[in-house]
Amino acid sequence: MSYFLQVVINGILLGSMYGIAAAGLSLIFGTMRIIFLAQGSVIVFFAFVVYFLFAKAGIDPYLCLLIIVPFAFLVGLGLFYALFQKATALEDKNVSLLIAVGLMYLIENALLKAFSASPRGLNISYASAVLVVGSIRIAYVPLGLLGLALASAAVVFVFLRRTRVGTAVRAAAEDMEATTLQGINSVWVCAISFAVGVGLAGVAGVGMSTVYSFDYSFGFTFALKALIALTLGGLGNVFGALAGGLILGIIENLTAFYISADWIEAVSYGIFVLVLIFLPQGLFGKRGLVKKV
Amino acid sequence: MASPLLEVKGLSVSYGDVRALTDVSLEVEEGTIVALVGSNGAGKSTLLKAIAGLLHASNGEVIFAEHSLSNLSTKHRVDRGIVLVPEGRRLFQTLTVQENLRLGAYLPKARANFSESLERVFGLFPVLRERAGGRAGLLSGGEQQMLAIGRAVMAQPRLVMIDEASLGLSPILTRTIFNLIVALNQQGTTVLVVEQNVHMALKVCHKAYVMKTGQIVLSGTGEELLANADVRKAYVGERGSKL
Repeated sequence: MSYFLQVVINGILLGSMYGIAAAGLSLIFGTMRIIFLAQGSVIVFFAFVVYFLFAKAGIDPYLCLLIIVPFAFLVGLGLFYALFQKATALEDKNVSLLIAVGLMYLIENALLKAFSASPRGLNISYASAVLVVGSIRIAYVPLGLLGLALASAAVVFVFLRRTRVGTAVRAAAEDMEATTLQGINSVWVCAISFAVGVGLAGVAGVGMSTVYSFDYSFGFTFALKALIALTLGGLGNVFGALAGGLILGIIENLTAFYISADWIEAVSYGIFVLVLIFLPQGLFGKRGLVKKV
Repeated sequence: MASPLLEVKGLSVSYGDVRALTDVSLEVEEGTIVALVGSNGAGKSTLLKAIAGLLHASNGEVIFAEHSLSNLSTKHRVDRGIVLVPEGRRLFQTLTVQENLRLGAYLPKARANFSESLERVFGLFPVLRERAGGRAGLLSGGEQQMLAIGRAVMAQPRLVMIDEASLGLSPILTRTIFNLIVALNQQGTTVLVVEQNVHMALKVCHKAYVMKTGQIVLSGTGEELLANADVRKAYVGERGSKL
């Protein structure tokens, strides 16, 4: 039993990473109606930035948040206006999707060229510190991931529910044209939600740098994991996306422990397909977003 | 005489290769209710969307309060006082009634007078006050139309354009909505309304335009058009129309 609990807890902690990434995907999907497949590569990019801030300037990764999050937000605004502004106006969302795919490979290959294929990881002084509760052992660093995920979800929730722009983002996610008719610049609203989504990628990048040994190619797999998390949780709900991430983490860890680590991918994608077939709105999603024809 | 609040001059709009409006001209005097009638596909919604800035005109211009609106975005048109209540209401269903109203007053000028506008909307539509905290999607059809109009009023418009005011509503509710439109007009707001219930529209309006295949084919006061045999045959249920 305590093994089981330990495995579940570890799953939750690692799953928080998927949750943060999925929350970003969810926000971006809300207004732009695309799965931002470059999210994983963007996260790896920010993980590299943290790596260099730590290795060269000795800045603690958690302190890096103060730099990375605003930086990521600005990168998001820049990417939106440079790459997506025109495409979002098109009815055919495949254009935006393909731009995202192109961006993903662009970032991957730029990272490979700039930093080589060797994996990086941070040597944090408190990496081995462990919290012991009865027979359960929880390392502080992965516990930090859960903290990051919960804090991000709370911030995004307050942004969406309590701010004027956040309300406009929710409105635009529902009906872009009607939002425009209120005198709201809907391109700006898309830009903001995209930038917040990339801001979350910044948070995830910090998280990734603290627990993973990562390299340039890590992004695509990670984006797919976030997509599974998003599918599990359901579209249109930030806490759903976070929960989806935690559930995926639990599933992966249980699979690794009780079956074999080799089966992690097969089980994750199997569940992905099953959820899409039998529960397309996900566990916590809004039914309206997946319309029956 | 003062120039009209809204003046559409020779407006043409195309969807790709398909001409939707051809050389449409109309005038809306300040303080009046103007009705736009015609069968499905006549171009009424297209005209309202073009005035709201959602569609680009290939020719002609829209003049509002003596200023041309050419090249102004929807945002700037809303800021100048033109608001469109779109066909099918298009409320933000998952947002609360209050949030919908708040979005109606998004621009700085309107936001500054949020409380007064809200009282005005609640005065016109008391039921919205009771429902303020509930989701817009849970309102009945009539209440949704009230919220859609109320959301437009929040922008402090000089001209409200309402596309299909009575769509999907019972005859009794249609009458209620039209009474409210008249009340809104009596508070000084100019109204341009597209309506399928031609009889109702012609009865309350000061002036009406009849559209057919993208053109204005007839205009006059409500009484004049109600007395017109072709109009009666085409839209009020009598047979043998030429329109």
